[in-house]
Amino acid sequence: MLRSIIAAGCLLIGAATLTVAQQTAELSPAEKIYAELAKLSPEEREKRLVDGARKEGRVVIVHTLRGELGRSHLAIFRKKYPFLNVEATTDIGSQDAGERLFAEATSGRNLTDVISVSLTDLSEVLRRNYIARNPTPATTAVLPQMQKYNDPQGRWALFFWSEHGMSYNSNMVPKDKAPKQWEDLCDPFFKGSVSFDPAEARFIAGLYAIMGEERLMKFMECIGKNNPIIQRGHTQRIELMLAGDHMVQGDNYLYHGLSIKRKQPSAPYEMVFSAPIVAGMGASAINRTTQYPYAAALYVDWTLTKESQEFIASRLRGPVTIKHPYLPDDITLVEAADPPKEVADRLMEAWLRLVERKR
Amino acid sequence: MSSHARSAEKGSMRDDAGPATHRATPFFDRADWRLVVYICLFGLLLYQVALPFLMIIWTSLKTVRPGEPEFLSLVFSLNNFSRAFASEAFWTALWNTLVFASLSTLLAFVLGAFVAWAAERTNMPLARFVGMMMIARIIIPGVLITISWILLASPNIGILNHLVRDIFGVRNFFNIYSMGGMIWVHAIEMVPLTYLLLAASFRSMDPRLEEASTMVGAGNWRTLRRISLPLALPAVGAALLLLFVTSVETFEVPLLMGGRAGVRLLTTEIFQATSRTPVDFGLSATYSVAMLTLCIILLIGYFRLVKHGERYQTITGKDFRPRKIDLGAWRYPVSAFCLFIVFCITGIPLIVMLYASLLPFYQGPGVAAFKSMTFENYTSLFTGDEIWRPMLNSFLVGVGTATFVVIVVALIAYYVHKTDMRGRRLLDYLAFASIAIPSVVLGATFMWFYLLLPLPVIGTLLIIMLAYLTKYLPFALRFVSNSMMQIHRELDEAAQVAGVPWARNFIKVMLPLLKPGLLAAWFWVMVHAYRELTVALMLARSDNRTAAVLILDYWEQGSFLKLSAFGVIMFAVLLVIVLISHRISRNYGVQEQY
Repeated sequence: MLRSIIAAGCLLIGAATLTVAQQTAELSPAEKIYAELAKLSPEEREKRLVDGARKEGRVVIVHTLRGELGRSHLAIFRKKYPFLNVEATTDIGSQDAGERLFAEATSGRNLTDVISVSLTDLSEVLRRNYIARNPTPATTAVLPQMQKYNDPQGRWALFFWSEHGMSYNSNMVPKDKAPKQWEDLCDPFFKGSVSFDPAEARFIAGLYAIMGEERLMKFMECIGKNNPIIQRGHTQRIELMLAGDHMVQGDNYLYHGLSIKRKQPSAPYEMVFSAPIVAGMGASAINRTTQYPYAAALYVDWTLTKESQEFIASRLRGPVTIKHPYLPDDITLVEAADPPKEVADRLMEAWLRLVERKR
Repeated sequence: MSSHARSAEKGSMRDDAGPATHRATPFFDRADWRLVVYICLFGLLLYQVALPFLMIIWTSLKTVRPGEPEFLSLVFSLNNFSRAFASEAFWTALWNTLVFASLSTLLAFVLGAFVAWAAERTNMPLARFVGMMMIARIIIPGVLITISWILLASPNIGILNHLVRDIFGVRNFFNIYSMGGMIWVHAIEMVPLTYLLLAASFRSMDPRLEEASTMVGAGNWRTLRRISLPLALPAVGAALLLLFVTSVETFEVPLLMGGRAGVRLLTTEIFQATSRTPVDFGLSATYSVAMLTLCIILLIGYFRLVKHGERYQTITGKDFRPRKIDLGAWRYPVSAFCLFIVFCITGIPLIVMLYASLLPFYQGPGVAAFKSMTFENYTSLFTGDEIWRPMLNSFLVGVGTATFVVIVVALIAYYVHKTDMRGRRLLDYLAFASIAIPSVVLGATFMWFYLLLPLPVIGTLLIIMLAYLTKYLPFALRFVSNSMMQIHRELDEAAQVAGVPWARNFIKVMLPLLKPGLLAAWFWVMVHAYRELTVALMLARSDNRTAAVLILDYWEQGSFLKLSAFGVIMFAVLLVIVLISHRISRNYGVQEQY
């Protein structure tokens, strides 16, 4: 069973709930529909959604499972609901998706109906009440240990997660020297041979959730002294590490190396499961002023169906209603959620000063 | 008789029948049309360039982001400037940027100018092949070139380092993750641009001055130094200016190599400011304003350099054919050196790409690597994905943007260099100023601009083309301005005296004479619009994705191995196109290289 340590995750949900409580703005037309739909049985709800979506005939989605992955995911949705014209953008990241909705909403344009984003990238649009409340019974399918990440008011529906963890080149690192915990990356044995992407708020937030501020500051200091490699591009760094460029990935998606190893068993790739793994929760959220409320809600519900979740697992990403495709049950997961702003700023500044610019 | 002279003569002959002005209605009077087009050009540039700039400057003076109610208030603050200028990071980035841009400009210019001169003005063997490879090289995305050099000269896995270690026993001789490495990779990326900028100018050079120099006993070197290069001064100045500004604005090398090298540039700082949540628009706009200031200073210097434009006019009504300088026995070493440069900038990255494209995961050359080779990266390109629509979109964007940009810059160059109309210099400044806008800021600005302005362009190819028009105007303008400066005013004046309507004179006389510059500009814009990523990505929706966005997809999912396969195919396709166009050109007697 997945054992989750939740620290900062609660902060995000708490803050978001508080914000909503303060915002007693009246419901948007879409939210009124969703409030009505919430009273229906799941079967009746689905029927109403399908009928409504059929009449609407269109939905615009920004899907941040990028590229072919997002398109293949949507292809299953399109196949199931062929009457819908699904206009999708699958080329931008989570932060940009949040930015896009923000930009459109503040300029009064309704061009996007649904975005799928990391929870950490939702905070700004939530704060401004740009997201529709869509309480849906579909979220009951989410695994119990993941339920805490869902929003009781239905402003987002969790449907995937991705992991940041340590991995290493097994040709360069003997088993007894392999890192067991995050602080092991400070070992002089790894000097100049541990790589990170440039400052990523999500990753730092995850480390903060694991270590707390004081320990994290010390960690950044010792990492900086160990002359880390800072290089942009998660997939590129994995490739370079496998080629023997350096020993360890201090921060990377674990699935990419695994997918290479499954195709090519000789690839010298090992993952570290003994240290906590940072989980980035991904959810879909509906524009509060969506022009296609039924189609949007139909899509959000669909992301939690068996076929959608099995597809996500088949691509080695983290599903939320079924077992993870490769992570052991006994790993420690920590959700990367926003720390308070002043803490986040302090940590980001420290990362830049101690880790990136120190070199 | 050359086509140039023939065109001019045709115009004159036509007007022998009588001054056209006397027959024209007042509305169609040639002076009016010239004024109408001039005003339209100003309007276009104000809309395309001044408004985005106003938005950037406005944003730099605001502490709230676009979309906030206070953003449109008349309350301004210098807070972003004090934040930027008070930080050590800004000054470090500025210094690094100046060093990086200066040295890569110098290196690219020396290599590119030499190849352009050798290929266009000497009798070295394989000149046509060298020119063709220079052009074909431009299509390979910069990101692939950067990665290729990382694989070549990375400290632990670089192929060159392996060779040096095996031969000389020296470990990690090269380190591509350094300021030197960054300069090298970026400089060779810019050599084809230098070639394109200078080749058209060298080709349009009147040989009589060089012949006179030779006749009075000056050798080839002295003639090159005292005659050829000074004659090409506007092109040289423009090339240096463009190379420098391109280096200031470049993104791929700083992004992929700068982080690891510990070298942060202004563009890296801007990227970081726009990569945060929420995006720090104020700080990124402030960095853009700093870059704009730098570019304006450079532009003023450039205009001072070429203020006596008439000195560089070598194309007159008289026919000429550029003379090829006989290098004698030196033609073989010169050719070998040019081929070496071509090999460095095209051959080596292509070989690395070809090698990487055949691997399931990247490994240094060896038995295991060769045993594991597969075509999977190639086959996966065409399986179950939407490849054709983005390719078609890119084609349309590339051709459409290039054509429109070339028409606009031809008009701008005409007004700036061949008329005395008031404010014409401002046209040049306006058209050039957008070079200071980093792509990431340009994309965001256009997105915000058209969100606020309710024109139905979001999600269409038109919004990308409009952004590209702003982005590529400065480059195309320098290509065409160089050619325009070489055309003597006497041709335009002769047409006016003969009563040739202005539009006819422009189309029948000026445009044919500008053909080398126009074609070079068209080709350059087309290729760059085809492969541009940052702006296309920020403006991409479901129906207007371009090939570059597709490339990013491959980068995101399949890493650089799949991308390498794509690069190899792109290069092969373009090479075939260039070869066919050469064959067709030869069959129809067209000599222009582009």
